[in-house]
Amino acid sequence: MKMAGKIYVTGAGIITALGTGVEATLAALRESRSGVGALRRLVTDLSYLPAGEVDASTTDLAAAVSATYPSSALRSVVLGIVAAREAASTAALDVDDLRRAAFISGTTVGGMDHTEQHFGAVSESGGQTPEAAELRYNDCGYSTELIADALGSFGFVTTPSTACSSAANAVILGANLIKTGMADIAVVGGTEALTRFHFNGFNTLMILDPERCRPFDRDRAGINLGEGAAYLVIESEESAHRRGVRPMAELSGYANACDAFHQTASSDNGEGAFRSMRAALDMAGLQPSDIGYVNAHGTGTPNNDITELAAMRRIWGDTLPPFSSTKPFTGHTTSASGAVESVICLLALRHGLLPPCLGFVNPIEPGAEPVTRLTEVEGLRHVLNNSFGFGGNDSSLIFSTTEE
Amino acid sequence: MPHRCYVNAIAQVSCQSPLSDSWFDAPLSFDTDYVRAQEPVTKGLIAPAESRRMSRILKRAAATALTALGEAGVAVPDAIITGTGMGCFENSEKFLLDLCRYGESCLKPTLFMQSTHNTVSALIAIMLRCHGYNNTYSHKDVSFESALLDAWMHIASGGATTVLAGAHDEVTPLTAAAMRSTHPEYAMVSEASVSAVLSAEPSASTLCELESVTIVNRPSTASLAAMLDARHDSVMMVGINGNALTDSPYATLLEALPFKPAMLRYRHVFGDCFSASALGFATAAHIIARGRVPQHFAVAQPMETPQRITLLNHSDGNLWSIVRLKKA
Repeated sequence: MKMAGKIYVTGAGIITALGTGVEATLAALRESRSGVGALRRLVTDLSYLPAGEVDASTTDLAAAVSATYPSSALRSVVLGIVAAREAASTAALDVDDLRRAAFISGTTVGGMDHTEQHFGAVSESGGQTPEAAELRYNDCGYSTELIADALGSFGFVTTPSTACSSAANAVILGANLIKTGMADIAVVGGTEALTRFHFNGFNTLMILDPERCRPFDRDRAGINLGEGAAYLVIESEESAHRRGVRPMAELSGYANACDAFHQTASSDNGEGAFRSMRAALDMAGLQPSDIGYVNAHGTGTPNNDITELAAMRRIWGDTLPPFSSTKPFTGHTTSASGAVESVICLLALRHGLLPPCLGFVNPIEPGAEPVTRLTEVEGLRHVLNNSFGFGGNDSSLIFSTTEE
Repeated sequence: MPHRCYVNAIAQVSCQSPLSDSWFDAPLSFDTDYVRAQEPVTKGLIAPAESRRMSRILKRAAATALTALGEAGVAVPDAIITGTGMGCFENSEKFLLDLCRYGESCLKPTLFMQSTHNTVSALIAIMLRCHGYNNTYSHKDVSFESALLDAWMHIASGGATTVLAGAHDEVTPLTAAAMRSTHPEYAMVSEASVSAVLSAEPSASTLCELESVTIVNRPSTASLAAMLDARHDSVMMVGINGNALTDSPYATLLEALPFKPAMLRYRHVFGDCFSASALGFATAAHIIARGRVPQHFAVAQPMETPQRITLLNHSDGNLWSIVRLKKA
């Protein structure tokens, strides 16, 4: 089996509550401007809960990307098209490149925004209304194909769906396809739109903060949901050289492990998180002290943050590296978060910026203070991004600068 | 040189007798367009208290996983990789119905917690305390093949020695009715839960070798045909089921092939759902292991014992998968 050399990141695209595009995201980070606020688009009784909503109607987004399917909904698809196009364009992928490339898009919501509009009528009629045809958009794979087809003709498509680590697992599958020589370019990431279904789902778990979320704060009270999409273009060193594109970073390590503890809670010692971070470091051949910044999963729930800290303590001991959660900026973009936060990590690496953990006041325990204000640092070489999903699906990605 | 990948056990729950191979020689036949899976007896596999809390798909998945692992003599695999087209849709549907009927209050957390697509993979990991690689693919008809590709890569690259790979889909009466009303041409709709133990090491229970898994998006007919050859693909297991919409892409491909493969089928026995091809995989593996082809799986004339079977599957004629199995 061919085991390729380095895997480079050669393109990135993003849309979240912070705005459209990598530059808009950077500007918001520089200004410490949060995108979390009152809901304006999603119609729900839960509108008192703040969220990171993309400030555009699905119809307008669809018009902007010239999407031609039922554009009144399928918000995850149009968000995905916006971000995936930016990623493909920054990596200068042409039609022939796409033909050889894999498109791997993590999602859980899929077409649920469309389904929930039609499900009442379909169930009333016992499935006998023509509206039943609308349910075909529900599944995750359909949304992936619509995004892929809007870009061109990819050689391979599939859809990981592991809740909040879906996009990180898309990155991992793409990297493994490249390492084993089954692909040399992959567009990887994820997309998730706010829906009544998952807004209410998280609400039944009583883990949504009615204020802006405060990850790693002693008094944190839960999540703000967010929406968005982000994709990276990753490719083999050889492919990047052949195409003459400049790498933005190296994907130097990655790992997926399972907490195997509970469907919606993490184990006290963060076993899955510990294992995924440890294995990613091992793959990258790095010492824990080499990591200059951790973009934590940091949802702001009491359970996540304390167990993630426990796992970080097992790796770094008393001296934690600079870390923060950027979910107070974007909201928790669930299935897309692994890719959204990977783009933020790339910006951190490129500009030597450590994004702050907005809203943090008091640490959970002594020595567990995250980055609290935007910090410029010299010589940032390696950053680690955590994404943990329901079911204990824990994944870690390490991005490194490409300069020797 | 990649490691070889052996299929050391497969267990299934479907409309056929659950956790049994009786379908191989004596399949039940159904005169209906929708038949649910036969629920497995989980006594002895799953603690009753645990079993009562599980939805149907979770119970079926746990039963097939534990049975396959037991047959292969594997306590804890290195990785668990699952395909599912619709995830835990029965719970999703109940949650949606409650949302429609009662609005945004009094919704049940358990329905949401057990509605995500990765609930199956997570449940098996929790039951086995398996901390290894855990992933779930949800991509229509090639959900199983996506999981199988990832599993094969893990074994072939030496990243794992044993992988539990499977596919699980439940189809509710409402979904079946909706499918039927919008696609009257649909053949028998059913449900599938299949778990397979893949290993870098052959064992006494080995059924066959998994040689390769290929997924290709929107190939031209010519380029797809060029991926198949008379030496490797002279026997094909295809997903034909009498539905012109899903059968015709196979016919188009066969016309473009420069050779005439022998054809096997399985969906008339197991019905159709997003995970159905996992049952085709099981059928092909058993044919190779047993060295004979029961007449009901052969499309035309009786067949010699195949040493190789190529499982061909597609999603809407756009996304194709080629899974090659051969005698171990």
